[in-house]
Amino acid sequence: MVTEQSEKNQTSVAILIFAFCCLLSTVRILGNAPRPGQLQADSVAKRSDQRFAQLKVALPPRGVIGYIGEPGVSGTADYYLAQYALAPLVVENSENHPLVIGDFPDRPNEPVTANLKLIRNFGDGVLLFSHEEAK
Amino acid sequence: MALTLAVLLCFASGYFIAVLGWPRRPCPSDFAVLDSLSAGCGLGLFSFVYVLSRAAGNNHLIATDLAVFGVLLVASLLIRSGRAAELSEPIENWQASSAARQILVAVFIFALAAALYGAITRVIVHPHGEGWDAFSIWNLHARFLFRSGPAWSEGFSPLIPWSHPDYPLLTSGAIAHFWTYIGHETQAVPAAIAIVFTFATVGLLYSLLAMLRGRISAMLASLALLTTPFFIEQGTSQYADVPLSFFILAAVSLLCLHDAFEESESAGTSRLLILAGVNAGFAAWTKNEGLLFLAALIAARALTFIRDARRAPQRRLASAARTFLPLILGMAPALLVIAWFKHFIAPPGDLFPDRALAIHKLFEPARYGAVLRWYGKEFLRFGEWWLIPGTLLLIAFYFLLKRKPESQTPRLAPGFATSHLALSFTLAGYFVIYLITPRDIYWHLRNSLNRLFLQLWPSAIFLFFVLITPTVKKSAQISEHLPPAAPQ
Repeated sequence: MVTEQSEKNQTSVAILIFAFCCLLSTVRILGNAPRPGQLQADSVAKRSDQRFAQLKVALPPRGVIGYIGEPGVSGTADYYLAQYALAPLVVENSENHPLVIGDFPDRPNEPVTANLKLIRNFGDGVLLFSHEEAK
Repeated sequence: MALTLAVLLCFASGYFIAVLGWPRRPCPSDFAVLDSLSAGCGLGLFSFVYVLSRAAGNNHLIATDLAVFGVLLVASLLIRSGRAAELSEPIENWQASSAARQILVAVFIFALAAALYGAITRVIVHPHGEGWDAFSIWNLHARFLFRSGPAWSEGFSPLIPWSHPDYPLLTSGAIAHFWTYIGHETQAVPAAIAIVFTFATVGLLYSLLAMLRGRISAMLASLALLTTPFFIEQGTSQYADVPLSFFILAAVSLLCLHDAFEESESAGTSRLLILAGVNAGFAAWTKNEGLLFLAALIAARALTFIRDARRAPQRRLASAARTFLPLILGMAPALLVIAWFKHFIAPPGDLFPDRALAIHKLFEPARYGAVLRWYGKEFLRFGEWWLIPGTLLLIAFYFLLKRKPESQTPRLAPGFATSHLALSFTLAGYFVIYLITPRDIYWHLRNSLNRLFLQLWPSAIFLFFVLITPTVKKSAQISEHLPPAAPQ
């Protein structure tokens, strides 16, 4: 009887300690969650769908187009977001296409190589070039 | 209206897949398990139907869904009749005070509410997913599938290798299927699918453990998962790791449930193996790591069979057939679709560009040290717990109970043995991938190991509580409480 009671106490304590320790991480879940007053969507839609909306209308519906953009991690993110917005077009990170997108959100007046001829500037660093020597 | 129809068809079809694999007529205690399974199976099926319809040039998606639903409904009605497998459900034997039980229930409800709050606010703030993979892989593939029409496969192009065009299409296909019903893209769909997978994983863990080991174990296990901050974060990030964890858990837990039915010597239990195979197949259709898990599961099943065959050599052939065939039968549809996708649509993956170099890397001891150190570190921190790692907490809980498992049965049962071996093999497989990775090994470990551990975490929690929970059989407990028989 004593053993049974002792086992019961021991199990109860173990369960309570387990539950308490789990609760600690619940605090982190709540702490990391966005606050109710700050529930504004992040910038993905703005940097992709909205930013490339006008350009998308000017492009063919399918096929492969080229892309030039800024270097570095933020440039890589911009490239991925351009592809995300312009699917089902395949956007290759290369100048070697008849149509090439220029994506320079931080430097809208970026000088480009002599091979590319500006077709249209859509603003906000979004440009469309032609590359006549491309395959 | 269209969205309601899509949701109904998806979950009802998933429900009937689960019922077809269920070894008895569903009774009230089965519904929680079947409902959880129906979410994953329905979404998996929706993905198959969508991708195959695209490939076949079939534009009558609603008619196809209705036909698939009709076939599943009729099949479940025909096959269900006459089945009455019994499960000697265990009664939990936790010797805990009622106060401790009540506090546990309160903590569980609070943790569930906190997880729901965290998940919903996250998807509101990150409607396109949290992290690059959401928009550069999974949702991008969904857009290719939905927007391209007959040219849907052009998006899976080697010109954009960073989008991993060789990755399987379960989540992307399911998203595109719902978009097609609605007629336009909305981020509410991938966000809702992410939340469904997250909480269906918790539901499956709870309901299957409640069935096998009682409610206290179920609550403790679900609490461990719900309070893993990284699980909630990843679950709502619109990556595919939590959906994969759902299917791995489903396969593992159904194998253990099969053990329990076998113990009751019920007929028709091989259906559970088929259902486990179906879920392992869905795992392989979710991520490439799921393919590794599927291979690990087959290898683990083979080893378990060899172990059992030594004990009863006279029944070797019959046992092999009973062990493997239903499992492979369940995996077969997914394997066929994956083989077609990998062979005809997807370009080669980026993990094995140079086999000679990969083999050379296997002989570099420094790489073993690096991977081992990261395994050790991530074991303690992958869940992003606060102060006390969940992995350590489970170990501490085991020692706090100061009780060894009462019976050797769970460890010896083929389903349990297969499951823990499969998880071990999968972990070993991940280890080898890191050894031979063509990328910088530290970059690769830093960016993926926590997610790989998370894929196995729900199953690890499940197996832990199956092993440590003290149980008595209903019949045994009832007979203990019966008065002694009167002398004749």
